[in-house]
Amino acid sequence: MKLDFPHRQFAHCESGVTANLLNFHGLPCSEALAFGLGSGLFFAYVPFVKLNFLPLTTFRGAPGSIFKKATKRLGIEVKTQKFGNPAAAEQELDRLLEAGRPVGAQTGVFWLPYFPPAYRFHFNGHNLVVIGKEGDDYLISDPIFEETVRCSVADLRKARFAKGALAPKGKIYYIEKLPEQFDFPTATKAAITDVCRVMLKTPVPLAGVRGIRLLARQLVKWPAKMGEEKTIAHLGHIIRMQEEIGTGGGGFRFIYAAFLQEAAELLDNDKLADLSNRCTEVGDLWREFALIASRVCKGRAAVQDSFDDLAGFLQQCAAQEEALFTDLQQAIKY
Amino acid sequence: MNDGLELELVKLIIDFCNVEDVVPEEVPHDVPLIGPDSPFYLDSLDAVEIVVAIQKGYGARIGSEDSSRMVLGSLTALADFVRRERTDQ
Repeated sequence: MKLDFPHRQFAHCESGVTANLLNFHGLPCSEALAFGLGSGLFFAYVPFVKLNFLPLTTFRGAPGSIFKKATKRLGIEVKTQKFGNPAAAEQELDRLLEAGRPVGAQTGVFWLPYFPPAYRFHFNGHNLVVIGKEGDDYLISDPIFEETVRCSVADLRKARFAKGALAPKGKIYYIEKLPEQFDFPTATKAAITDVCRVMLKTPVPLAGVRGIRLLARQLVKWPAKMGEEKTIAHLGHIIRMQEEIGTGGGGFRFIYAAFLQEAAELLDNDKLADLSNRCTEVGDLWREFALIASRVCKGRAAVQDSFDDLAGFLQQCAAQEEALFTDLQQAIKY
Repeated sequence: MNDGLELELVKLIIDFCNVEDVVPEEVPHDVPLIGPDSPFYLDSLDAVEIVVAIQKGYGARIGSEDSSRMVLGSLTALADFVRRERTDQ
């Protein structure tokens, strides 16, 4: 059996899954709108938490938070389940599919055989939608792919119960009930307020604008402190988290800019359109940072001089984001 | 379309990513530009170089819902993207 699920390809998995699930339930939603309503934009640099032996650097909120926040703000009832037993997890998934429900699932990318080997790395925060089952295969809408894909029952079990950081523990989620009306303006304002708060007012110096400044201060010391090989590994990790891991580029800033453009129309607020352009400019600045950083990693730029430049770029990103989110906060107060 | 854009893009990639031992005219149009199947032997760090070069050279920003993973999926995909999004003409 296969549900008639409108699969669309997107840049980012969780935003794409959220948009596709909402679309299935009759609520047209772009990837950018799902990302924005879920307050997806963030920054944190947590040097004492390691991901694949490298410091946690993230440009988005916690896995699962985009779906949770976007649906809550729209008044949509959802259900989330985790399992200790893979057999029980499969039974529940099959029951939901039989009942005609597409089911979101958190998985480990490394265990999904339809990913080309070059993209299979140990990341347990990948989201997809299970839309059917035929024989020993599940049918999957994975927004990273152009078409729907198949995955054997055994492989999906491994992916749903992958071990390590962010272990999914069989997590599934789905939409139970939609309200009769959606209050997009209120949801949009709440979502923007949330992002401004975490970027400007997080009390710990690891997150938001303060986190960007912390990274700038620490990064400039890396060559002397760690040596060239380790420095390049750390720098390459940041570039990948910023430009590669389904971010849409510029550390999700381009997707957020597209959301602000939609928000300008939803709230009939021209200021948001201007702020969308500024958010794109910030994304470009992050990309300039990634460009210099990639040249260092590839041996196309001198190391220490470049680290001074890189720290300078990060300080500029922090300053521009501080101004952007301060103005964004003001723009929605009316 | 025979406007020579594919060959122009191959030369740009060779130039910006310091690629050696590749004959531009012999690069296939339908294989990934990044990863183990890339005729240029490029990785994700090189992708940043290409993305910025496309933005500066053609005014076409690869971002938001056009991710670099999709656009750099092949020379054909990249050329189609540039034809659709370029703002330099």
